Amino acid sequence: MNIYQPHLMRIDEVVAETSDTQTFKLSFKDPQVAQQFKFLAGQFGEYSVFGEGECTFCIASSPTREGYIECSFKAAGKVTQSLKRLSVGDTIGFRGPYGNNFPLEQMKGHSVVFVAGGIGLAPVRSVIWNVLDLRDQFKNVTIIYGARSVGDLVYKRELAAWAVRHDVKLWTTVDPGGQTADWKGEVGFVPAIVEKAAPVATDAYAVVCGPPVMIKFTLPVLAKLGFAEERIYTTLENRMKCGLGKCGRCNIGPVYVCKDGPVFSAAQIKALPPEY
Amino acid sequence: MNSKSLSLAELAALVRDLNASGTSVVAPVPTRSLCGADYRPITELNQATLNGALPRRSLKELFLPASEVLLRYRLKKNDVELLPVPTTFTPQVILGARPCDAAGVAVLDRVMGWDYRDELWFGRRAATTIVSLACPGFDGVCFCHAVGLNPDASLGSDVLLVPRGADAYWAMPVTDKGEALLARGTFADLVEPAEVTAFRKAAEEKVAKNLASLPSGFHTFMAQSFDHPEFKAIASRCHGCGACAAVCPTCHCFDIVDEPEGMEGGARRRNWDFCATCKFTVHASGHNPRATQNERFRQRVMHKFSIYPQRFDAVLCTGCGRCVRACPAGMDLPEVLGHLYAAQAAGGVS
Amino acid sequence: MKELQDLAHKLLSDGAVTVVMGWEQGPRGVRPAMITTAANSHRLIFDPRCVHNLATYLNPRRSHLKSLGKPAIVVKGCDAKAVAGLIRESQIKREDVVIIGVRCGGVVRKPTQAPELTTDTVSPRCGRCDAREPKLVDHLVGPALPEPPKTCSVDMVARLEQMPVQERWAFWREELSRCIRCHACREICPMCFCSTCVADKSRPQWIETSATPRANLAWQMTRVMHMAGRCVGCGECTRACPAEIPLGLILAHVAQSVEQRFSYRVSDDPTLPAPVGAFKTDDAQEFIL
Repeated sequence: MNIYQPHLMRIDEVVAETSDTQTFKLSFKDPQVAQQFKFLAGQFGEYSVFGEGECTFCIASSPTREGYIECSFKAAGKVTQSLKRLSVGDTIGFRGPYGNNFPLEQMKGHSVVFVAGGIGLAPVRSVIWNVLDLRDQFKNVTIIYGARSVGDLVYKRELAAWAVRHDVKLWTTVDPGGQTADWKGEVGFVPAIVEKAAPVATDAYAVVCGPPVMIKFTLPVLAKLGFAEERIYTTLENRMKCGLGKCGRCNIGPVYVCKDGPVFSAAQIKALPPEY
Repeated sequence: MNSKSLSLAELAALVRDLNASGTSVVAPVPTRSLCGADYRPITELNQATLNGALPRRSLKELFLPASEVLLRYRLKKNDVELLPVPTTFTPQVILGARPCDAAGVAVLDRVMGWDYRDELWFGRRAATTIVSLACPGFDGVCFCHAVGLNPDASLGSDVLLVPRGADAYWAMPVTDKGEALLARGTFADLVEPAEVTAFRKAAEEKVAKNLASLPSGFHTFMAQSFDHPEFKAIASRCHGCGACAAVCPTCHCFDIVDEPEGMEGGARRRNWDFCATCKFTVHASGHNPRATQNERFRQRVMHKFSIYPQRFDAVLCTGCGRCVRACPAGMDLPEVLGHLYAAQAAGGVS
Repeated sequence: MKELQDLAHKLLSDGAVTVVMGWEQGPRGVRPAMITTAANSHRLIFDPRCVHNLATYLNPRRSHLKSLGKPAIVVKGCDAKAVAGLIRESQIKREDVVIIGVRCGGVVRKPTQAPELTTDTVSPRCGRCDAREPKLVDHLVGPALPEPPKTCSVDMVARLEQMPVQERWAFWREELSRCIRCHACREICPMCFCSTCVADKSRPQWIETSATPRANLAWQMTRVMHMAGRCVGCGECTRACPAEIPLGLILAHVAQSVEQRFSYRVSDDPTLPAPVGAFKTDDAQEFIL
């Protein structure tokens, strides 16, 4: 089988998260593929708009939910702009799952702190639902999520659902100036809210995704709270084409983001050359 | 199978036999290029030049074309039909391949088979028999010896030919495929004659003079030398043009694009791409992890001499020297390597 | 040569410039050099192997060179036209570069050749030269040199023009079939300075990037049209092409067209407007109306 040939998928649902971000719910057209498809939280795929090209996003849904996958994307470039123009019933392509995954098995029996900014909530969401679907296998669950403004928050319906759960501690924030008159959440940059939330580091893992500047300022806060670098996980992005290690584009030093990542611990990232 | 003796006439007959049976034969063919030859199909042996001309491009494009269709798609309302491309190919024999080129193909097998098997690459590999012609040492640039090969290396070859005078060859089968090819004729057995041994030894000595071998632990030293001052201004004259990667037997980076064919569909293609170019790693946001030419050139050297050896236990360079000859700005990989050897010696091997 | 080296030494010691872009002897022939210390100015040379058009290094996109500071650049007459082009098209300011002109007697085809100029070795483009002593200079060095020998190569531009169209088409189809879209022609050209080349734009994809006959033709024809009235005839694109496609031939033909239609030859006077950026009321119009 030609490894570059995608599976065909039908767009079953489209949710406009923000003015430029959408979530697609997708199902495989081939029932055999649909039945056999498995993935782990953190893995990504190459999504095709035939005639425009492919683009790389994580799978934003949890592996515990079978029969469909979800992806969320920002319309930033050529292919994502054309994805945005598609509707329910349209066909796209999917190659994957590629890459490594978040260490769910390792995290079981521990607390998990999720920190995300903007569209960075998409890869984190896959893990969040994976954890919540197996809730009794984890201790405390804390979610700290922020975006530039209220309008930029994604998965609003799920934020509302997590807010009312007793087994989840949710903090939502917007950047100073991004609040609306009726905003009830925090106001402040995500790293500041992490500091305020002060999640306990004992027996805990952290999953952090968001804009590079957010990660840059969040990691020291987590370190100060006592999180070990080996217990903090994040995802790295790089320009990708093949997604499976052949086209030579996504490497950071000897590390191929598509094969050794996209999930990395803070300790692994520290060892990377400054090339991302 | 024993090694054989082949006369020019016998080789010519083999070429005719292969063509007649539907197997195409590719060989260095003289062109008006400054290098002297290109790999082209031949129907008669006398169309080829087996006298040492170095084809201006490597064998790479016979296995990874400069632009290759990965699949075709037809667009319908709400639906898409995918039309796969064949992964089996017409048999071909490459006659008179340079050992540096044959080795390049074998080195690339590793990344092409890394977890995901590239059936287009391996389909072409399966259909191809490579008959290398031992090289007398091309010029003062090439450095196959330095990267662990030699002008008579058989890595990647199915048969190795060594010239005996102007009209005969000694043929050493290297693989089963090579034996199958030689079995098509009735060639006399010939133990390696002294003249062949002498030719090979002289060639090796000639090339060994061009550049010292990679020091032990070189790829580890390189991995630790990301911020070495050697790289600070290494690429001031480099244009980022990609000519080096275009002619290189082991550069394999590619782009994937969709292009229309007619009104109703198109083809998804992979095209050679070049890490030397400024847009190679640029993100949709505009951020570029390798923002200047120095960083891009460093990546080139690292990929070949550190990353690929670390991941695949092979140097991503066969020392053919084409990059040096093709570069319009005088970038010189053996010179760069020489400086890095000195840096390693100065800093101590780790 | 000593004149050039002494001048470079002075400019760098005085701090008038922080880099001198010239030529030096490399391991295998002449190559461009970025001299940043006065102590290294002895590396600068000038002889018939100094083929490279260094003006391309003044391209503001080359951030790692821009960071070297104010440059002095050594130019032959053809190179000076490219510097003039960059000034004319507002890529650099005249006062931001010190121009050291050298008197030229012709160059060979490749910088790795021997420096002897004969009818065999001389670059064919030198036969079309009208600028052996550059005028756009702050300093002019070197002795007056004799005319370059007349090349014994066939005048391919004239030969192509005399070919019937079908034969010419077959010639270019064969030549362009080797194009692999490395864009070396573009990267080395001093006048190709666009921060995003039209061939790299994806929204929309004006020119396909694949190395197919139709895409190669689209690319080459677009580049040639973008060079009309701007190409200085330095021949670097032909030299850089790893597929050895004689790109300079099409560009030379277009330059002749521009001269015929607009009485304009690319010059090293940056104040002289080019047909692409200006018009005269008596410009030819029969191809529009």
